[in-house]
Amino acid sequence: MGTLLGLTVANVKSLARDRAALFWTIFFPIMFVFLFGWIFGGSGGSKISVGFVDQDGTQASGGLRQALAGVTLLSLHDGTLDAEKAAMQHGDVSAVIVVPKGLQDAFVQARTGNAASIAVQVYGDPSQNQTTQVVQGAVAQVANGFNLAALGGSAILTVSQLTLQSTSISSVAYLVPSILAMALMQLGIFAAIPLVQQREKGILKRIGATPLARWKLVGSNVLLRLMVAIVDAVLIIGIGFAVFNVHIVGNLLEVGAIVLLGSASFLAIGFALASFLKTEEQAQGVVQVVQLPMMFLSGIFFSFDFLPGFLQTVARFLPLTYLGDALRQVMVNGAQVAPLGADLAILAGWLVVCLGISARSFRWE
Amino acid sequence: MTQGSELVIRVADLKKHYGDVRAVDGVTFEVARGEVFGMLGPNGAGKTTTIEVLEGLRPPDSGTVEVLGLDVLRHPQSIKQRIGVQLQSVSLYPRLTVTELLDLFGSFFNHHVPTKQLIDAVDLGERAHAWAMNLSGGQQQRLSIALALVNDPELVFLDEPTTGLDPQARRSLWDLIRGLQDKGTSVMLTTHYMEEATELCNRVAIMDHGHILEMGAVSDLIGRRFRERAVFFDSNPKLPMELLARLGGVSRAAQEEGQTVLYSNDVPGTVGALLATADEVSVEPRNLGIRQATLEDVFLDLTGRALRD
Ligand SMILES: Nc1ncnc2c1ncn2[C@@H]1O[C@H](COP(=O)(O)OP(=O)(O)OP(=O)(O)O)[C@@H](O)[C@H]1O
Ligand SMILES: [Mg+2]
Repeated sequence: MGTLLGLTVANVKSLARDRAALFWTIFFPIMFVFLFGWIFGGSGGSKISVGFVDQDGTQASGGLRQALAGVTLLSLHDGTLDAEKAAMQHGDVSAVIVVPKGLQDAFVQARTGNAASIAVQVYGDPSQNQTTQVVQGAVAQVANGFNLAALGGSAILTVSQLTLQSTSISSVAYLVPSILAMALMQLGIFAAIPLVQQREKGILKRIGATPLARWKLVGSNVLLRLMVAIVDAVLIIGIGFAVFNVHIVGNLLEVGAIVLLGSASFLAIGFALASFLKTEEQAQGVVQVVQLPMMFLSGIFFSFDFLPGFLQTVARFLPLTYLGDALRQVMVNGAQVAPLGADLAILAGWLVVCLGISARSFRWE
Repeated sequence: MTQGSELVIRVADLKKHYGDVRAVDGVTFEVARGEVFGMLGPNGAGKTTTIEVLEGLRPPDSGTVEVLGLDVLRHPQSIKQRIGVQLQSVSLYPRLTVTELLDLFGSFFNHHVPTKQLIDAVDLGERAHAWAMNLSGGQQQRLSIALALVNDPELVFLDEPTTGLDPQARRSLWDLIRGLQDKGTSVMLTTHYMEEATELCNRVAIMDHGHILEMGAVSDLIGRRFRERAVFFDSNPKLPMELLARLGGVSRAAQEEGQTVLYSNDVPGTVGALLATADEVSVEPRNLGIRQATLEDVFLDLTGRALRD
């Protein structure tokens, strides 16, 4: 165990002292977070766009609208329920407020002494927790004012919260899991480069002349990469949260488990590639040829509905499609390509197949 | 080698082919404990292949290969605990320091020599905290030798240990190897330098095209072939070889690196005859000298070419 640790420390030092490798494994994905965050995130200080659906069409609902419009943080956008939900899904509005039919009636009933209540519905995106909370808070406050004015505080008007996932690609929340998936994919596949380098330099052969067990040599490389994967995940999720307000709705342990499984699968792909590559130059080239198309085809940055049919088929075989999907589902409750279980099974499948290839074909010199 | 002494290497009819290339083609030799054994041969002779089979890095095609009394194919791990290996060409983790590398490699073995002691042994004290990639070629070579000694091995394999070293570093490495021998460590090394083999090795094997051509103590190898001594001078076209070969006492005449060498049983007679002949064509043999035959002469005689091209 001590030797495994020592070798892992040696690998960590080698990585930490190699500026180019550090850049690609850690700073590059973080740059993506900022870049996409600023492009798609909009400016933090402006108003929150909210869809307003008036199904009552009475004086009372008009009064409610006026009160909401008076909240400085909100900018209302009127439309039918379907239109506003669609707008939310496209990312044009961040929440939808629905005033159901019967609002005025409820107040009339209450004034005549009958018990009555009616709920205003607020659709929010759970991955954009902060925004959703602001909107719900504003609606609740306005509703409270209405209740007070009408009958001294009895709860005629309530607020019910509904969730509606925004699948808009312009949402930063959607991008954080995608960037994390990209980082893990690159981390794994790029592992081919130092392996080929170490073989070309004869380091693997030299270590082969010592009694060190080979699994420890492989294991230390795996440990290093998994450690970096965790660092990447913490940094990306942390920056997403601190700078761009993206909340993780899922369980962090689940996220961690998927991060590890995904990294392991891509590492296995990296090892399998290293089995067939002879020189470092070859490795540099092939790694790009594998990772660039994968990044664009797998629907992590663009929904692959935009792709022509045969490319969609290709996308359905790419492991990155499923890592992105799994992370999105767990992190921000995003729309899914496949059920979570299927995502994980496909990633595990890639892991097993590529490990098998590496075990058969990897050369130490 | 004395009969009955313990063998650290036993190789019998070793063959290793790469496709059509018969890198090692039936090699047999033994090394006794405490010996320094040298393998000489031109590029591509099969030295590295032989040594890497012994180190357990390449499986032999056929033949018996035992190191420290153990079969290399059956007990690679126990052998690796007890041998030291320096490979002909290897660069190490480029961004680890000398100290870190020695510590790391030490950790691979059951017991290891303190890093400080190794650094002093190869005189790398000033560079102890330099990254491997920033060492000069000779310093890297010394680091690679220190790594071969990290487990205080019983048997050390050194593949061209002094290639790339300056003369001073080469001599200090010779001292290191003699020191190893003094404390009973066995050494198998390869070299292109005759002088090195003569200085260090108890016995040498001369190898070419995958075969051992001749093996034994350096003085025996020379004595076996050359009872004569060599008279040499800068070649001159006015002194053709046919003429010189007929001079008194000359058994053979050869050309090497711009010099004419006359192997003679009667050096005074040969020199007298040479000077008389030269006088007739009014030339004076330049850089005239006399020496014992060397390993270089043996090699030339065996292979028809100089050891280094
Ligand atoms: N992995 C290999 N694949 C194919 N041929 C090889 C391989 N390794 C060595 N050879 C060939 O085997 C022959 C012997 O090579 P080897 O390296 O043993 O020579 P050497 O005596 O160490 O030479 P040098 O003095 O140049 O180091 C050469 O012809 C070489 O090209
Ligand atoms: Mg060699």
